[in-house]
Amino acid sequence: MKRALTATLGAIVLALPPANAIAAVERASSSTTTAKKVVVVKKVSGSAAQADRWGTVQITLTVRKTTTTVNGHKTVTRKWTDIGGSFTYHTDRSLYIMQQALPQLRQQALQTHSGNVNLVSGATYTSQAFTQSLQEALLKVKTV
Amino acid sequence: MTAPGLQRVEQVMGMPVIVDVRDDHVGDDAIDEVFAWFREVDARFSTYKPESEICRIDRGELALERAHPDVRAVLARCDELRDETGGYFDARAGASRQLDPSGLVKGWSVDRAAALLDATGATSYAVYAGGDIRLRGGALPETAWRVGIQHPLERDRIAAVVEARDLAVATSGAYERGEHVFDPHTGRPPSGVLSVTITGPDLATADAYATTAFAMGSRAAQWTATLVGYEAMTILADGRVQLTRGFPAID
Repeated sequence: MKRALTATLGAIVLALPPANAIAAVERASSSTTTAKKVVVVKKVSGSAAQADRWGTVQITLTVRKTTTTVNGHKTVTRKWTDIGGSFTYHTDRSLYIMQQALPQLRQQALQTHSGNVNLVSGATYTSQAFTQSLQEALLKVKTV
Repeated sequence: MTAPGLQRVEQVMGMPVIVDVRDDHVGDDAIDEVFAWFREVDARFSTYKPESEICRIDRGELALERAHPDVRAVLARCDELRDETGGYFDARAGASRQLDPSGLVKGWSVDRAAALLDATGATSYAVYAGGDIRLRGGALPETAWRVGIQHPLERDRIAAVVEARDLAVATSGAYERGEHVFDPHTGRPPSGVLSVTITGPDLATADAYATTAFAMGSRAAQWTATLVGYEAMTILADGRVQLTRGFPAID
């Protein structure tokens, strides 16, 4: 019998509005320049990846897309701001494994991200399922 | 709106493999070809698949002369590296003396994957296999790639950032999962060093040098200073970090 649990991975979760996406527009203008900034926040998820015999892991990233237009020149930046996700488990033991491993992996991924790097050399994750789902979600960031 | 390029992640050769191509003219079929290549390598070189050529050679069922040219080339390069590194890099090291060229196969197969991408006209891509990376061009729209070097003690930190356009980056460390590097001369894990990162033109060689330097323990940094065309960052057990002169770290 498989039970499912949806959990945020760790204690820190951004306060997000219930809607999947929000947009905000800021305008600033002066006599010489016209600037417009649009911010969109969305969530993207990787697939539910099999974590050995413990269950499945599905990672969700919160992505902040900022479109800045200055004098008709548009600049788009996408940054993910948080990792959440859900996992399934089927025994108390696998629940324990998931609860131990995921916050640590989440912290690792957030730190890597804060270093603003494309890839990490030498990094091997305890959970390849976490890596796989995270990478899939990362690849979707640019589709926001 | 989407950024150009294609990215794919798959579990092949027992590790996560990422192919990230930023050129917008490169199609899905090119990425398919690269992953088909990795699966072919796995079938031929796996030490876990009894029917692989490596296992059959190890059991004496397949003569080296009759093996696939790739297998002969990899094993010949292993021999060269064993001699060059004074036996520190050895495809027959390990308690069992089992034939295991995995330490070279990973980097070598990524180098060949890069050649496949080059042949399709790709000029901006990264190929990652189990912690080792080969870069070309930039992470468009960025003009270069930025690679974090895993902090050897704190899993949630990176120790340095390398910025480069055309480069191979390999790291060997005690924290690596499933990879137990030891000094083949003593049979014990090395001491005095936490991780060694090597950068250079060829990933197979960079990876072999990283493994070698790490196995040397406290003499790692000294040895990397003698390498031609390859740069190194060594993190010692006491926390000191030693870089060769041309190591492409930023900040």
